[in-house]
Amino acid sequence: MTNTLEIQKLTKQFNEQSILRDITFSVEKGEVLSIVGPSGSGKTTLLRILAGLEPLTTGTISISGQDVTEKKANKRSVSLVFQQPLLFPHMTVEENIRYGAKLAKKDSKRKTQSLLEAIGLLDYKDYYPAEISGGQQQRVALARAMATEPEVILFDEPFSSLDPQLRKELRLWVRTFLTERSITSIFVTHDTEEAMLMGDRVAVFHEGKFQQVDQPSTLLQSPNHPFVAHFLGGHLVIDEERYIPVQSCLFRPPSDTSYEQHEGTIQHKTYQHGQTIGHLFLESLGEKVSLPVQEGSVGAELSLYLPLDKIKRFEGGRT
Amino acid sequence: MSRNRLLFIITSALFFLLPVLLLVLQSVSETWRFQAGQGFTFQLDSFEVLTSDPNLWSATGWSIAIGAGVLVTNLLIGILTGKALATMDFKGKSFVEAMMLSPILIPVLAIAMGLHLFMIRIGLADTLAGVILIHLVPTVPYSVKIFQNAYRQMGSDLLEQPLILGATPVHQLFTVELPLMKPAIRSVTFLTIVISLSQYAITAIIGGGTVITLPMVFFPFLDTANASIMAAFSIWFAMIPLLLYVIMEAILLLLPYTNIPWRNRT
Amino acid sequence: MKWFKTRSYYLFIPSVLFLLIPLYGLGSAIAQSVRDNGAFTFQYYTSLFESERFLTSAGFSLQVSLVSSLLSLIIGLWITRACYPLLEKYTPRLIVWLPMLFPHFVWGYMVILLLSESGVLSQWMQMTGLIGVPADFPVWTRDPYGIGITLTYVWKEVPFVILMLLPVYASIKPEFYDLVQSLGGGAWERFKTVEWPHLLPVVVESFLIIFAFTLSAYEVPALLGTTYPEMLSVLSYDWFYGSVWEDRPLAFAAMSLMSVFLLMITCVAYLYLNRKRWRAMRGRIE
Repeated sequence: MTNTLEIQKLTKQFNEQSILRDITFSVEKGEVLSIVGPSGSGKTTLLRILAGLEPLTTGTISISGQDVTEKKANKRSVSLVFQQPLLFPHMTVEENIRYGAKLAKKDSKRKTQSLLEAIGLLDYKDYYPAEISGGQQQRVALARAMATEPEVILFDEPFSSLDPQLRKELRLWVRTFLTERSITSIFVTHDTEEAMLMGDRVAVFHEGKFQQVDQPSTLLQSPNHPFVAHFLGGHLVIDEERYIPVQSCLFRPPSDTSYEQHEGTIQHKTYQHGQTIGHLFLESLGEKVSLPVQEGSVGAELSLYLPLDKIKRFEGGRT
Repeated sequence: MSRNRLLFIITSALFFLLPVLLLVLQSVSETWRFQAGQGFTFQLDSFEVLTSDPNLWSATGWSIAIGAGVLVTNLLIGILTGKALATMDFKGKSFVEAMMLSPILIPVLAIAMGLHLFMIRIGLADTLAGVILIHLVPTVPYSVKIFQNAYRQMGSDLLEQPLILGATPVHQLFTVELPLMKPAIRSVTFLTIVISLSQYAITAIIGGGTVITLPMVFFPFLDTANASIMAAFSIWFAMIPLLLYVIMEAILLLLPYTNIPWRNRT
Repeated sequence: MKWFKTRSYYLFIPSVLFLLIPLYGLGSAIAQSVRDNGAFTFQYYTSLFESERFLTSAGFSLQVSLVSSLLSLIIGLWITRACYPLLEKYTPRLIVWLPMLFPHFVWGYMVILLLSESGVLSQWMQMTGLIGVPADFPVWTRDPYGIGITLTYVWKEVPFVILMLLPVYASIKPEFYDLVQSLGGGAWERFKTVEWPHLLPVVVESFLIIFAFTLSAYEVPALLGTTYPEMLSVLSYDWFYGSVWEDRPLAFAAMSLMSVFLLMITCVAYLYLNRKRWRAMRGRIE
């Protein structure tokens, strides 16, 4: 296995506040790592440090075995795609794409052509950014980042300024693009669904560190920390040690096993995929849980039965 | 709105357009004596008299040389300081901003008088360089402000892009910053040249009798020349910023990624 | 990580070097105003305050520059406010800024050309019979009240004020106006609550710049002023360059006084604005 990107014990302090604490991880060649976490948790800072735009406090960053910790942003083989396209307004689409490529001495007509084709903007190559739509601009920004042929591409919520429909299309397109060319990348988002879709692995980021890094399915099935379970949803956290998948919760006591019983109130109801979802508040646990309900109106009191054999324990070491 | 529009048209025509128009007309007409029935009589003698004065040409040369020197220095200081003030955050920034503005709040006459002896001692009195230095005082604060605004409008996010794409600071300056700051460069060119051309007293103090600029020719002219020639001289003053503006525009065309005017697209 | 720490402070080197020029100049002017053959003295300041000529000149200068700056501000503000959307367009803006193409003293000559006793306006009035002889025309240039100087300054500074205020008006979001309107506020309310807070710092800054300039500039008064009373700048320049070498320290003293005075009102304005900003911040936190 070859690791393109290796981060060792990275920390960042700002104004005596720890923003990143002891982050260690690596990304394989061609792998996409999603980093998901609440807004304002320092994900962007992490990316900016990796790109060389901000200093780190301690730790090392290596790319393809080379230590780049001390290197400036313009000397790192890293590209960063931002929330906003941030194209150069005085350059045409084509000039924008070739800007970095020329600097990296990797400029060729053929490549520009194929990138323009890939982003579907061949006919627009002489347009200025102001003359194309937001989605098109973001695709150009992507092509501009690709054109330098970096070893790693970092994405900082690149779709968050687009409308939902466009966002879905572009997501898929980028995912395919990255896989086809086996580009090593890190994809930061606050949207769980997006993180699962984009990443080969997903890292849940909270309070300055990775709470869990796993494949999407593993992450969903066995979260190793109450925060992860809360953040990703799909589980009812019983206490600091135990949780149960939502689909294992019952409204009637099971006859074959022993169970725990908790009282809840339906706070409101929503309708999804043809099902009625009740949003319950469980007083005894101080937890909220959403699951399909057949009956009961808002304000109705219900009992929830948790079969003991379905209850799991958080496996991760407590931190 | 339409009342305001009318008001504006009348005010601006009467107070801004008409005087300049009258000045131009007087410069190409015999001196007016409307009360004696002598109105507009076309002539170009005024310009001939003006341009046949050898002092005018040497003074124009001095003024342009000083203006160019002041402009280049202003661009240098303005761009670097403007960038620093727009992109950096540090304690006491508002104090630094106030400091940068302060030279236009202190009488430049006091500064020139104070520097006079020092300039003589270090050999800068009566030289081009000395005059350029003193002309920086009333100009640089404006340039810093203009470039600071230009960089702020660009935004620090956009300024990070070239860095991410591998550009060195110098490459970034020429490919991204300067092309995007063309309007600011134009304003600075204009303002700097006009202010530099406006300095009589401080030029006289630092330039001694050696550096004779246009204002120093203009003042004595007032006692001897007629209205027609004075008007021509006034027009002459306005031609210099325009000339340097055109030159600057030509230089700006050399910047990379310049939108070529005749480039067409449907 | 060295390159992060040294950050971009080198960008300030040229401006620091530049600032040495005015700082040294001012310092040296003050130093020369309190030195007599190497000994410290206040004698020049005492003689200044005993000099009728100086006191009259100082009063006259203050009056002319105060009137000029206030009029420029009021007229500039009024034009910008009334014609703001129009000024967004290219041609109107160009016309308004036309006077900026000319140096101050050239514009001063224009005032002579148009408004002197034998100027264009006077000629026209004689032609139409509104006045009989040139002497009937009021003395507006080289007059003892500084009318010519004030006229030139106001005429020339109004475009400058518009230049300063235009970006402020461009930055006020129209939603604010709608908000005030929906709350039932009139035009005055709109000006007071929406525009004024944005305008205040720029108005103060513009006032300081124009006031300092009109108080201390030499060229326009030299062209349009009279011998008595004369502006302080003209008087100082005469003392500096006049035939009597002994008068030179008086020039330094007069200019130093003016500089200190201007710096003091700048400081007051700066503190006032900062205190306002600070209070606004605190209001947000509490």
